[in-house]
Order: sequence, then structure tokens, then C-alpha cells
Amino acid sequence: MKTSKVMTAREAVSKYIGDGMTVAVGGFFHSISYALTHEIIRQKKQHLTICQPSFNDHADQMIGAGCVDRIVSSYVWMEVFGPLYCFRRAMEKGIPRKIEMEDYTNFAVMARYLAGSLGIPYIPLHSMKGSDMMNYRAWNGDKKAVLMKDPFGSGHDHVLVPALNPDVGYFHCQRADEEGNSQMWGIWGDMPWSMRACKEVIVSCEEIVTREQIGRDPNRTIVPGYKVVAVVHEPFGAHPKHCQGFYDVDRDFIFKYIRESATEDGWKKYMDEWVYGVADRTEYAQKFVNAFGMKKFLDLKAKDMMSTSVNYGF
Amino acid sequence: MKNDYSNFTLQEMMAVAAAREITDGEKVIIGTGLPLLGAFLAQKTHAPNMVAIYESGAIDCKPLVTPFSVADSVLVPGSAMQGGLMEGLGVVHAGELDLGFLGGAQIDKYGNLNTHVIGDYRNPRVRFAGSGGSNDIGAGCKRTIVMMLHQKQRFPEKVDFVTTPGYFGGGKERETYGFFGNGPSAVISTLGILRFDPDTREMYLESYHPGVTVEQVKENTGWDLKISPSVRETKRPDPELIRILREDLDPTGVFLGKK
Repeated sequence: MKTSKVMTAREAVSKYIGDGMTVAVGGFFHSISYALTHEIIRQKKQHLTICQPSFNDHADQMIGAGCVDRIVSSYVWMEVFGPLYCFRRAMEKGIPRKIEMEDYTNFAVMARYLAGSLGIPYIPLHSMKGSDMMNYRAWNGDKKAVLMKDPFGSGHDHVLVPALNPDVGYFHCQRADEEGNSQMWGIWGDMPWSMRACKEVIVSCEEIVTREQIGRDPNRTIVPGYKVVAVVHEPFGAHPKHCQGFYDVDRDFIFKYIRESATEDGWKKYMDEWVYGVADRTEYAQKFVNAFGMKKFLDLKAKDMMSTSVNYGF
Repeated sequence: MKNDYSNFTLQEMMAVAAAREITDGEKVIIGTGLPLLGAFLAQKTHAPNMVAIYESGAIDCKPLVTPFSVADSVLVPGSAMQGGLMEGLGVVHAGELDLGFLGGAQIDKYGNLNTHVIGDYRNPRVRFAGSGGSNDIGAGCKRTIVMMLHQKQRFPEKVDFVTTPGYFGGGKERETYGFFGNGPSAVISTLGILRFDPDTREMYLESYHPGVTVEQVKENTGWDLKISPSVRETKRPDPELIRILREDLDPTGVFLGKK
């Protein structure tokens, strides 16, 4: 039995996320670790560069809280739900501070992670070519992307983007063991490439299971334990997003955030209530039940739609 | 008038127009809202063999309930394959898909799309989401369909920022880039259906939706829009399609407006 990496969100964030770090957030809409995001905000981390192909309200909250200087992404918005006001205030008016975004495409960020995870310095792309993303650059300047003639003779120029290797990454999944072997199903989002490109990984999960249980279905493992430095047990840790097989997306709560964050005062009130005003995820879940009732909480719970099992025998 | 399927809204007209663009057997990457309704309408009617793909990595999805977003949990059970962005957008990047749906804050005369900013990029008047998968879909899918709210400021002669290139400055300019994708084939707007001249690649009006006039389309376009010599009214939706949209695909009116 290897050493257990299980710890609280408070311990994990304080130990492994430092000011000024480049931090990858895992997931795509589905299974985003709000548990760890909120802890980063409570610990007032500063000057972070945050990376994710597509960001939602979790980025908006970190931006509003002044944790973020730079964003590596293709998208900061709340999809069909609407705009994200802290992001817009920061980009349009420098509130609470001016931030920079290095604009890529969704796939270009994936390609940067892929290169990072493979230990290669850069990767060619069809995307971005001819767009204004090649003409406008933030802090990376010339190193954001390069247009290069294909040395193998296709006759076309290709966009090269550099590998992305964040200092630390964090993500949420259904289950992990104490060593950090993590299993995820449903929409992987930027997984596994984002986390494999990170130097260190923090995982939050709905359930902690045994190493033996992981080994019974190893094809489902998305990050091997040796990459992981901390395992945080956080049921309901992705709310208001969904976690396949555990709970569905909470549309009402997302609309509530967008509505209330439209003004700075409204945003502050929301954050005082749902982030600063709770000590951890357990208090958050309890507060949710108190505010909206057990029925609403149970309504979010996923139905059972079990897969058939497979034979790993030899 | 819940059961009067011969009446329809412009949104329903757009969803039906989107469905008509899909040929059976095509591999299609779908967004949310109207393109999503259009695609599933096609799948339920003339294109049962359409392969529906989401950038979230759901491939050949057959959801039991209409998904609300591109990463909805209802997309997963029943799909032929579920991965992540690498799977969903990897097939786009590889040039394997026939059709992708796009939208944006602005589209110009040559189909270039802007989903980044209004105003100056560094000091924007309004900052939007960014590319997301839009540029990837524009570069990789054989053709794209753009769904737009038709207003003058959204149809400028030149976009403030090129997020997803259409035909650049027109003519053969796009061909010099070597994309797998051949560019936008249609714009389905709230006022009509627009296509691109095969030689100049300039956008023109092919049809105006029922209740809309050619003058109205011209007034809401930021350049002197060319009109097809055979311009006509957009073919009205069959009542059966409106029934499927309202009763099967959007029974709670999330996309088409609450009943």
C-alpha cells in the first residue's frame, strides 16, 4: 500500500497552489471542480495564469475575486445561459484589475496540452490560420503561435503552437483511490491531456474507492496516481455543474449566478453567501439544502443507467 | 393556438431551414439552440442516418431528451462513443465532418465571423466569449451553416475581428490556405436565407422568410446586399415538422419560447 494522498481542499490548495503559478483547470462544462476553485478564492491566491480550452463561471468567480492575471483559453462564457460579467468587467473596464487573455481555439488549447503531455515542444495546426488570433497577441507575443511553411512539402503554411505544461492542474471526477488513480466517465472535456501535461495534479472526487476497485476496470482510469499529489473527497464538488451518474446540472443556480453577478454589488453578495461565507464543501452542500430544500437537492440526483460490465479475464 | 401547426414563428422557420441543409448520412457537428433543433428534426425526418457529433466528444448521439447545452449529461447515454474535446474536435480538425453549425456576434459580406469583440481588441467596447470551437469547425468541416440574428450592426461590411474566416476578401482567397473546410454554404438569418456567389464569394439573398420583405433584409444589412434574380419566399414549413418541433423536440418550450 502506497502512502495515502487524501487531504482536505484547504490543505491541498495551500500546499500545492502558489501565487503566480500557471494552473490548469480540468473539464469541459461537465465535472468542473468548484470545490477546489472556491478554496483557491477563499485562500486569496494571486497573479494566477489559468488555462482551460473553455471556461465558465468558475473562471468568472476567480477573475472577480482578483486571483487571475492571465487566461490561456478559447472561450470564457456561460454557453446558452448567457455572458459572464466579471470577465467582461475585467476585459472591458479593468475591474477589479486589467487581465490578459491569450486567445486560442478550443482545439488549439487541446493541441498545446497534447504536445505538453508528450514532451514535444510544439505542434502544427489547421485552426487559427488566417484569423485575427494570429494578428493579436497578449503576453506570449511572438511565442503565442508561429506560421511556418510545411517542411514536408504540402505547399501550405501551418500554425505551430507551443506545448503547454502548467505548474499544477486540478479536476473533478467520479472516483479515485488514495494514491490518486482517477476514474472518470461521461464527458471527459480536456481530459486526459490537460492533466497529463501538468507537472502536478490535484483531484477532487465524488467517491474514494480502493486500489483493488480501480484495478478491476483500469480502462476507465484517466490520470494515473503517480501524477497526483493530492486527493480530495468532495461529494457534490462539481455543483452547479453535473457529474455523470451522480447529479445533473443545476440550471436554476447557474441562471441565478448570471443574474446576480450582472452588477459588482450583486456579485459580491453572491460570493459572500456561497463562497466566502462557507468554510468548505460540506457547509456549502448543507447551505444548499437549507436554502432550496431537500427535494431540490434530490431532484438533481442522477437516475441509474448502469452499463454492462466487461470481462478483463485472461 | 397550441395545436395550429400551420402557423409558425421565425425561430421555427429557422430550425426547419437548418434541418433542410442536412443530407441523410452526413456527419454533423451541432451547437445548441436552433441548430440543435434543426439537426434532430432532420434526424427524425429525412436524415435518419445522420451522425450527430458534439464537441464535448459525444459521437452518434441519440439522446432521450433534447439536450440544453453542448456538454449536457443527456448526450452521453445512448451515444455510440463518448470521449472529450480531443475526440469531438479531433475529427473536425482531421477534416472528417461534412457540416458544422456556427453563430456569432457579427458576419460580413464574405462570411467572416466575429465572436471576439465589438470595437478594438485591446480595449473592447464589448468582449464576447472568443472562438471556442468556432474557428476549428470553420477550418475543418467541409461546409458550415451560420445562424444569425439579422440586424444591421451584426451584418457589417467588415467584421471588427476575424474569429472564423469565411471567404476572407472573396474570390479564390480562401483556397490558398489549404483548409479541409470549403467555407460557409449558407447563412440562415431571422429574415431569410443567404448564400455566397460561387465566383466572387459575396453573400446574396436567396430567399426571405414568410412575412419579411426584400427591402427589410436590405435595410438590416450593413452593405449594399445583392439579391438573387430568382429571389423568392423561403419555403413554408410542413405542419408536421412544426408538430415534431413543438411536441417532440421542445415540449417545454425552452428553445422556441414558453407555451
